Amino acid sequence: MKLERLTKKFFDGLEEGVIYARKCTECGAIEFPPHYACNTCGYNETTWITLSGKGRVESLFRPEFITASESLESLGRPYCFGRVALEEGCSINAVILGVSRKNTVKLWDKLPLPVHAVFTEIDGYKTLHFMLDEQ
Amino acid sequence: MVKGKIGKYSRSVSIIGVGATPFMDINDDPELLGLTEGEAFGYAALTAMEDAGIKPRDVDFFYHGSANPYFVNGSITPNMQVAEWFGMRGKGSVHHSEACCTGYVALEQAVMAVASGTYDVVLSGGVEMATGLPDGKKPACYRRRLTLNDIFPDLISMVDRAYGRALYGGHGIIQDDWTELYARENNISDELMDDILNTLAYHSRRAATLNPLAMHRQPYEEVAKEKGFSNVMDYLKSEYNPRMTHYLRVSGNAPTADGSACCIVCPTEIAHRFKQKPIEVLAIGASALDLTIPHLEKKATAEAGRQVYERTGLKPEDIDLLLVNDFLLSSQFLAAEELGYLPKGEGWKYVLEGRTAFDGDRPINTNGGRTSYGHAFGASGMADIYEAVLQMRGQAGAHQIKKMPKTTMLRGFGGGQNVRVEVLRVAE
Repeated sequence: MKLERLTKKFFDGLEEGVIYARKCTECGAIEFPPHYACNTCGYNETTWITLSGKGRVESLFRPEFITASESLESLGRPYCFGRVALEEGCSINAVILGVSRKNTVKLWDKLPLPVHAVFTEIDGYKTLHFMLDEQ
Repeated sequence: MVKGKIGKYSRSVSIIGVGATPFMDINDDPELLGLTEGEAFGYAALTAMEDAGIKPRDVDFFYHGSANPYFVNGSITPNMQVAEWFGMRGKGSVHHSEACCTGYVALEQAVMAVASGTYDVVLSGGVEMATGLPDGKKPACYRRRLTLNDIFPDLISMVDRAYGRALYGGHGIIQDDWTELYARENNISDELMDDILNTLAYHSRRAATLNPLAMHRQPYEEVAKEKGFSNVMDYLKSEYNPRMTHYLRVSGNAPTADGSACCIVCPTEIAHRFKQKPIEVLAIGASALDLTIPHLEKKATAEAGRQVYERTGLKPEDIDLLLVNDFLLSSQFLAAEELGYLPKGEGWKYVLEGRTAFDGDRPINTNGGRTSYGHAFGASGMADIYEAVLQMRGQAGAHQIKKMPKTTMLRGFGGGQNVRVEVLRVAE
């Protein structure tokens, strides 16, 4: 096994607009965000792959007093939270940019909606957020 | 997620003593303002020993749990710092910290220590003097009031620092994630879900009103009347009970409390030597999922529940009482359904019919639950175990449930998130 910096490679990838993940060499499940081992089947080995960043958002929640983020507020644009299922088959609780508090509830009846990855500069590094394909 | 399994204990273990402080906000009590962590834990520990009919010298080892001892109490190794308050200087101990699941993990660890044969009599407890923070370099009896502005930024420390905090979504979703999924799957409108949650809050307060250890004991009828409402549900739906998230109103969030609770366990084969009816720990299932995982509470609850059902051979209908960490109020009936205690898709009807109240036929959170009993973070799970034991002994007083419970299930949840499902049974 190789001692390596998976986290660093992930965030370096985001700086370049690339989403790195891992794939289990036994069951083929996507490990995202990337870790050494497979958390789907419990196998010890995974290899690098990249993700498209395309998927669909299945839920939307507006930020509230107890969940709002100072860092996200500093972006100066609307945001909310949502479950994102990526087209490669993995899912994550994520931040959806560009959806206002009001629209969060309005869009509930239209879910799921297609989203794509966006790479956001925040607190001195780049992270991964998503936006609706059609605003 | 990767599934787990649990084996049979090498020897059976039972709870022989429980002790607890009330859950309270000591800022409101001039007699107790400045009560230290050692004094609170020491009280819970010594009353647990008294309950069992033993002395500190009889305890072989203890576990100390608190959700976040460095943030709340300015301490690391807090087990060592409290030991002398209850006569265990020099005895072995350890501290553990699993945020709001700490009190449930406390039982698991103590049971394993006894089941392994390492120790015979083990004390385990949780404590959090959570309404205050250290005041500079002053001794622990001086402190400043904890504010929401102190605690909310710190909650992110429960999220994985490699990825979870940067991706952030989990912290924003956890409050409503399972409720939204349930509402979508069962065609429940926002208005109906509001009625369900307000009914849960109402019945939780009814139980707390009768529980001398609960923090909020004023009946909602009285609160409503003070605000000019003749109907309590009108009050709970009003601007006086505003929404904190899409679904959860103030009455659906857990008020921060000061408090401590402890239990004492020993091998079941010697448990009858002590004062109280022994309560056997049949099995404890465990799972943990980071906040970035969609539907983590539902998944981890199902996994830990599966483990205990497989281990014990029990069926959901064998469970007489359920206690659920409900710092998110909706967890009461959502976890109850996931664990089979209420039928799938029907739990919300049981709530509206009052059947999950302490005087209903499928009681849940008979101590009042986090939203009325209060939430002293690392101590809350052990307070649930305290309640379960009193109910199973028939010692719960005014909030004793109708049918004496023989088997109780508890679902712990917290800390980014850890889950435990524990099954207790009155020892044969």
